[in-house]
Amino acid sequence: MTTPSDTTTNTSLQPYPFHIEPSAVPDFDRRAEKFLAAFAAILDHSNYRFLVELYARVTARCGRCAASCQVYQASSDPRDVPCYRTGLLLDVYRQHLSDSGRWFNRLVSEDSLGSDKIDEMAELFYRCTACRRCSLDCPLGIDHGLIARLGRYVLSEAGIAPKGLVVSVREQLEGPTGNTSAIPLPALLDNLEFLQDEISETKAALVKFPVDQAGAEYIFFPAVSDYLMEADTLMGNAAVLHAAGISWTIGSQYFDGINYGLFYNDWVLERIIQKLVGEAHRLQARKILVGECGHAARSARQFVPAFANGQGLPVVSILELTWQALREGKLRLKKDAVTERVTYHDPCNIARSGWIVDQPRRLLCSFVGDFVEMQPHGRENYCCGGGGGLVSLDETYDFRMRVSGKLKAEQIQASGAQIVATPCANCKKQLRELVAYYKLPVQVVGVHDLVLRAIEL
Amino acid sequence: MPVIELEGIQMDVDEDGFIQDPATWNEALAVAIAKTEDVEELTEDHWKVVSYLREYYQQFGIAPMIRKLCKETGYDLKTIYELFPSGPAKGACKIAGLPKPTGCV
Repeated sequence: MTTPSDTTTNTSLQPYPFHIEPSAVPDFDRRAEKFLAAFAAILDHSNYRFLVELYARVTARCGRCAASCQVYQASSDPRDVPCYRTGLLLDVYRQHLSDSGRWFNRLVSEDSLGSDKIDEMAELFYRCTACRRCSLDCPLGIDHGLIARLGRYVLSEAGIAPKGLVVSVREQLEGPTGNTSAIPLPALLDNLEFLQDEISETKAALVKFPVDQAGAEYIFFPAVSDYLMEADTLMGNAAVLHAAGISWTIGSQYFDGINYGLFYNDWVLERIIQKLVGEAHRLQARKILVGECGHAARSARQFVPAFANGQGLPVVSILELTWQALREGKLRLKKDAVTERVTYHDPCNIARSGWIVDQPRRLLCSFVGDFVEMQPHGRENYCCGGGGGLVSLDETYDFRMRVSGKLKAEQIQASGAQIVATPCANCKKQLRELVAYYKLPVQVVGVHDLVLRAIEL
Repeated sequence: MPVIELEGIQMDVDEDGFIQDPATWNEALAVAIAKTEDVEELTEDHWKVVSYLREYYQQFGIAPMIRKLCKETGYDLKTIYELFPSGPAKGACKIAGLPKPTGCV
């Protein structure tokens, strides 16, 4: 596949491939010192030390992960090999924070940690899309995605984190709107009314978007950006819930499923989970329902039990729920409603563990006449190229198009599909940018966008 | 902080060229920003989109849902991309003086 020659230049004045807020690092020259202090504090107050110690002992840098990493496959830059990147953080641990390293340093070596090492980590940890495909292949069981994330966590505690993530999180945790896309409540209500009117025009049915219905079975959290970008996905979600007779609600005080903490910081992750759970309890909902979003679904599923202070409740993905409703005969989906050739892109956050692989495929195959698979797919899928928060950073556009997304674009082209369906706000944005960049005649939609076409109300 | 210069007046913008204070927007500024977004001239069609975006923003404090923008202006998404090659969120909203969209937009 040829790479288009038009490129946009990175106008960032920062030393990193992403913008940072200068106010977050007032003493930028002391970043190595701050990094070490943050790393030491995290190791002292978490369970990471056991993991880092184990990895530091067993890692062999055998390089097998090079074959599974789509970033390295496209860049051929040895610094993109996952175990090289992991080695950077483990070296800091060995030389400065492990017991033996501290003694050795004090007695023999004069080595201090240089800013150049910090800058290399900041660059490389954000060239990883945290897809964790390499974790399937590491003979020693090292999860390089987890180490990249730990590295990002330490960096963020030293003030080095992408502005695009930090600004969104600040609005979500402290801003007046309380969500990452800064949507005020009146705008949300206006959008819901609009969506309801759209369904009644196109489907001749009254499908409601309930708000603040206490005691509903499910409280619904999509990626909040869906309320700006993904009308069809949301209408499909609501149509399914309506047709299956499921009681559900949206919470007016908190309605965002996004959790960028999963990408770079533990306490951010925890505070967002607590907002999610708090709103569920305020409305006495019995389960949390996450919309079409890979990282939102995984962060809630994995971390509600840990961070809900004993107040946890079950987390369900809309893909599980829709598939279950269809299986129970509660949905009428018109066979062959979609005649175009369709393929399915697995969001890494829900597919890598094997959690959601078959459900969307079976669902799609019930009304898609011509379904094809990309190779590889399912648990071994390639990332869209914008995972780990990269898609929210416009300044990574060139990298996402020419490097991290290249293999995905080739896969899509090889499938011959006219439609790529994917249940993830991150993946949708990245794949739309990719197909435009590589000029592929492909439409990128959500799974429920197609369900909406097929459903009979 | 980067700046955009228009007839001798300098205006603060962020790294991506979004103006920092939406209240300072005016039509002459829109014309100047448009040139940075591959829109050489703002036609009547462009103004219709820009005006709707500003109206909605002034009422609700956020850009409208894309589907709503299409419906209210009568242009489908393809036409919006023809008018604003960098798209509704990054192109049209920037020209209309809205803040840079955040989150997964």
